[in-house]
Amino acid sequence: MKISDRYFQRLVFAAMASGLLLLVIAAGIVVLAAGERQRSTALVVHTFEVENALDKFSVLTEQLETARRGYLLNHRQASLDTYRRTVVAIPRQLDRIEWLIRDNPAQEARLLGVRAEAERHRESARQTFALLASPNPAMRAMADFAVDTSFIPMIGLRNLVGVMDAEERRLLGIRSAAQDTASAQLNAVLGVVGILILLIMGGAFWIVLRYTTDLNRAQEALRSVNTGLEDAVAARTSELSRANDEIQRFAYIVSHDLRSPLVNVMGFTAELEAAIGPLTALADRVDADAPALMNADAREALADLPESIGFIRTSTNKMDRLINSILRLSREGRRTLQPAPIDLAAMVASIRDSLQFRLNELGAEIAIEAPMAAIVSDRLALEQILSNVIENATKYLQPGRPGRIVVSARRDARRVVIDVADNGRGIAPADHERIFELFRRSGVQDQPGEGLGLAHVRALSYRLGGVINCISTLGQGATFRLSLPDVLKVEPREGIAA
Amino acid sequence: MSEHSVNIIMVEDDEGHARLIEKNIRRAGIANGIRHFVDGTAALDYMFNAPDGPKHNGPALILLDLNLPDMSGIDILAKIKGDDRLKRTPVVVLTTTDDKHEIQRCYDLGANVYITKPVNYENFAKAIQQLGLFLSVIQVPEVGDE
Repeated sequence: MKISDRYFQRLVFAAMASGLLLLVIAAGIVVLAAGERQRSTALVVHTFEVENALDKFSVLTEQLETARRGYLLNHRQASLDTYRRTVVAIPRQLDRIEWLIRDNPAQEARLLGVRAEAERHRESARQTFALLASPNPAMRAMADFAVDTSFIPMIGLRNLVGVMDAEERRLLGIRSAAQDTASAQLNAVLGVVGILILLIMGGAFWIVLRYTTDLNRAQEALRSVNTGLEDAVAARTSELSRANDEIQRFAYIVSHDLRSPLVNVMGFTAELEAAIGPLTALADRVDADAPALMNADAREALADLPESIGFIRTSTNKMDRLINSILRLSREGRRTLQPAPIDLAAMVASIRDSLQFRLNELGAEIAIEAPMAAIVSDRLALEQILSNVIENATKYLQPGRPGRIVVSARRDARRVVIDVADNGRGIAPADHERIFELFRRSGVQDQPGEGLGLAHVRALSYRLGGVINCISTLGQGATFRLSLPDVLKVEPREGIAA
Repeated sequence: MSEHSVNIIMVEDDEGHARLIEKNIRRAGIANGIRHFVDGTAALDYMFNAPDGPKHNGPALILLDLNLPDMSGIDILAKIKGDDRLKRTPVVVLTTTDDKHEIQRCYDLGANVYITKPVNYENFAKAIQQLGLFLSVIQVPEVGDE
């Protein structure tokens, strides 16, 4: 399964979002649980406080009873002090217990019973001390009886306190159990959340890993496609340069082989021409000495000879020029290229300087668009291409429009694209390819030339591993676009034998 | 050594060129015998084997075209300059080829003069006539006895 970018982003976002949400939930649960635990801990503490208070009450009650009995036996001042202290402390303790258990009506009801019993007990103790303090011995004796009856409220008190104590213990048990359950539940929930987070993170990790693997694979594929493309380009380039070599070789051989017969044609034409003189002299002498031998046809033939020879000469001269042009073209093609870093701006500027006189005459200008891309190529070949194209631009300006030729060079991946744009007369679309052919020209033939310049330019461009083409609309100027490799690589070439 | 005894051997496949060369050499006043061959095989056979050829008989001067139908003039040049008896025979390479490397190769092999045939006939005629004048003053060594 391929993971698309959008899908991947959504998936990862969803995983991150749900992970975060789960974390928030877990944190919330922990906070809530902590609050709950605090509350139940407080309750447990409360229970212990109540128990403690009850115990204290029991102790006080026992102390009161002990003090009473002790005083009955020995009338010691310590027992009296204890009595006085406990009698004050017991109601206070009961008040405290009441405050502590104010949230529990059942315990409050029980406390009322305890209060009543405690009151009875206190009252009975008060009577005992009052009797013992009486100066009347009979009254003092009666105190013994009071003590005997006092154990009834004591038992009731112990029972009641025991019940309350038990109730508090029961509540403590319930609260402890609830706390344990809450703890267990919290652990369970946290565990589930933890597992979920782990699952989501694991899933997200898996997806990221998978996506990264896909991405790597795609990059690998892209790289191999690129390499394939480069190979294809290299193969195509070498094919082209082979084809180019073949054409150069062909041009060279043809031009040489054409030269030989031409030497004969021209040579013997010259011989014929040289023969006209003696022949004319002979004819003149015949005319003078033996007019009967001369006829009109011979005279006419002799008179026509110079014209015929003139035509032969003109034609052979033209042919000679063409052959020399081809030869020059093929010789250029066989020159060994020497790649070197070239300052295009300086090169174009020097071409402009060499054309300055002509530019002034035409009122035209050449603009160099800086900065120009850096290039490593053959200086001579590139200079020939550019000066040819720029000179062409100055040749074919639109009458009545000030000529402006803009030269620019920009980098495009591993190539440099040089544009020579003019605002001249333009070239009809049908001629865009034709102008690069040998001996072909376009438009009004008002400029000197053999139709070789652009053929030469194209051949040189091919040699430099480049292409040149023309973008133009008739009447609106033309742009010649030369695309060259940024760094020219020269492959070893086999020499071309003559 | 008499001037007349020097044979001019012309190896030229183009009959017209041969005729024009001969005409212009004669115009320069050179009367030496000219033997014309249109292919390399016949020319080599004459040079090396003929009883009146340069190897066996007397001094000679060779005018050599490089573009021959059966072999390259370079090979002929190499054979001449590789032969003990023939290597001192002056060789004038007279051809249409003006390739720098070819010219260098011919001189490296021992060619004495290299002349490119001008296509323009006036120049061609002038060049050959000058060659004729050159031939009239050149001293050709005796072939043979070392």
